[in-house]
Amino acid sequence: MKELLKKLCIDKGISGSEDEMYDTIKSLMGGYAEIETDTSGNIIASMGSENAEKHIMLDAHIDRIGLIVTYISDEGFIKAEPVGGIDLRTLPGSAVKVLGTETVTGVICTIPPHLSKNSDELSKDKIWIDTGLSVEKVREIISLGDSVIVYSELRELLNHCVAVSALDNRAGCAVLIRCAEMLKDQPLHCRVSFVFSVQEETSELGAGTSAFSLQPDEAVVVDVGFAHQDGMPKEKSGKIGCGGIISISPVLSKEVTDRLIAIAEQLGMECDYEVTGGGTGTNADKISSSRGGVKTGIISLPEKNMHSQAEIVSTEDMEKLAQLLTVYVSEGGVQNA
Amino acid sequence: MLDDKLLKRLCTADGISGDEEEVRNIILEEIRPYADKVDVDNMGNILVFKKGKQTPKKKLLLSAHMDEVGFIVTDILDNGCIKFACVGGINDSAAFAKQVKIGKNKIPGVVNLRPVHILKPDERTKNPPIDSLQIDIGAKDKAEAEQYVSLGDSIVFDALYENKDGRIIAKAIDDRFGCLVLIEMLRSELMYDMYFSFVVQEEIGLRGARAAAYTLAPDCAVVVEATTAADVPYAEDEKKVCCVGKGAVVSFMDRSTIYDKEYYRLAMQCAEENNVRVQTKTMIAGGNDAGAIHCSRGGVRTIAVSVPCRYLHASSSLISVEDAESVYQVVKAVCEKILEL
Repeated sequence: MKELLKKLCIDKGISGSEDEMYDTIKSLMGGYAEIETDTSGNIIASMGSENAEKHIMLDAHIDRIGLIVTYISDEGFIKAEPVGGIDLRTLPGSAVKVLGTETVTGVICTIPPHLSKNSDELSKDKIWIDTGLSVEKVREIISLGDSVIVYSELRELLNHCVAVSALDNRAGCAVLIRCAEMLKDQPLHCRVSFVFSVQEETSELGAGTSAFSLQPDEAVVVDVGFAHQDGMPKEKSGKIGCGGIISISPVLSKEVTDRLIAIAEQLGMECDYEVTGGGTGTNADKISSSRGGVKTGIISLPEKNMHSQAEIVSTEDMEKLAQLLTVYVSEGGVQNA
Repeated sequence: MLDDKLLKRLCTADGISGDEEEVRNIILEEIRPYADKVDVDNMGNILVFKKGKQTPKKKLLLSAHMDEVGFIVTDILDNGCIKFACVGGINDSAAFAKQVKIGKNKIPGVVNLRPVHILKPDERTKNPPIDSLQIDIGAKDKAEAEQYVSLGDSIVFDALYENKDGRIIAKAIDDRFGCLVLIEMLRSELMYDMYFSFVVQEEIGLRGARAAAYTLAPDCAVVVEATTAADVPYAEDEKKVCCVGKGAVVSFMDRSTIYDKEYYRLAMQCAEENNVRVQTKTMIAGGNDAGAIHCSRGGVRTIAVSVPCRYLHASSSLISVEDAESVYQVVKAVCEKILEL
């Protein structure tokens, strides 16, 4: 699982630039699944028969949050704005990669402690990147609209935890891929579409368009959810190592959710639950109301420090969720549906 | 040309104030073939003597500090997370969400945060104080964390090193760069006998330099440093202090020292004669070991030559290679000039 994450948590594919991830998905799944992209850029891997009675969609958004270059100053400093809900507090002094014609390392500008009071207000209008290169060189390599990614290296922590940026939601993508690997040698009685959807972090665009085009009967969304940590309400989060979080919400299908819970119990998983009163704030909101409605459920990986370069998930949780998903699909999803 | 491989080794070595051993060992290994006398004193300073072609009338000390800013483990919590304090001056944003390494075994961890999604609007635009933060190593609970981490363990940034296209991005340029300049001087043939000190604990009060200056009792001193360049887009012009790319920094005064006026002029003159760029600070800001050395014993005539460095006390500092070369040229020339006086 760690090797899979290393291949997926790369400096590519912020919202709107997910095409940069196509080759990765193709190389990981192309051997056994049909891979194609649609109008919005969703990367879709299909398995099973086109004529099967049931069509299950498994969704994991493949975009990561980042920044986008909006201006280059005469001194060669690069101004950028957030793409997705980036945490401004994580930026000052952080190393970044600017994805120009070459990848350039830079640092987010900050005023040194000698000269600033710590009360500096952060603002999305004050994000400047320093590459240390001359303005000529910057303009040669970098253009307005280029992507910027906050740098971090994958680090292995205790208890099978890993820390790296982009785990939201490349960890979910890895769960989908592991599920596909386990399904590829089994007879499939349904059609399965693995959707690596675009622009979840900005508008949930890809979930809406892919669900419309694919017209699945059921869908399961795999994303990251909040993990228990200091300052995080228990009821909004799950414990890292519990296996995963199953969501319960008015917008979700009770049948799908109950089936997921039953399988989790059957597998001996001690999943946590997250109950929300309204929408879920995930791709499930769009998918569940696509066309005449799609029965949708959510399983998520407990993740600490969401939307930062310090994101943490457990690879054991990832393995368990992949198993849960595999059983769900191989047993044909919601039974008697 | 400055030795990039060695700078990388020095900057990626871990050595917060009071825990400089890893850096000291690299330096000792590098300088032994070139030095005539090497001592490590009770504080951990490396004190070096190297003979030149001539013995000058005055005793000149060239000094740089080995320590870097970082953190220290102060508590291990029931949830398995680690509380920490700053070692040296670090602002609240520098630690936030960063990857770190803890202790001798370099246990990887990250600085935790409350996700932005659950914050109140006013909490989203301000970094919380460092003392409210915790480091996560993935431990389930206190007992497990205690198997890997102990109170008092050093914590350093887990950061990248890159030297490309004429600029360097790394942690601990302050002051491993200065150490590199001293090593390069030791490797070179010297006109005059000189003393060198690689000192500890600059970042927590110029402590190592005080002892080194006492022991070596120099008449004059040159401190080699990295100094704050605040030439970022939203800084007012006069508050930029100095600028990356505009050459070696020689200051007339900072918050710890009023520098020797004749030496200041000599340093400027050396830059001109060697055709390298030099600048002075536009603000009385910062401070360095000169503050401890110039008032040692009966007084030491002192100058500091620094490389301008952006994001000095943070995980990713940035300097220009050309500025770094300029510092070396000025240091080499000014040492000779001082000893010729």
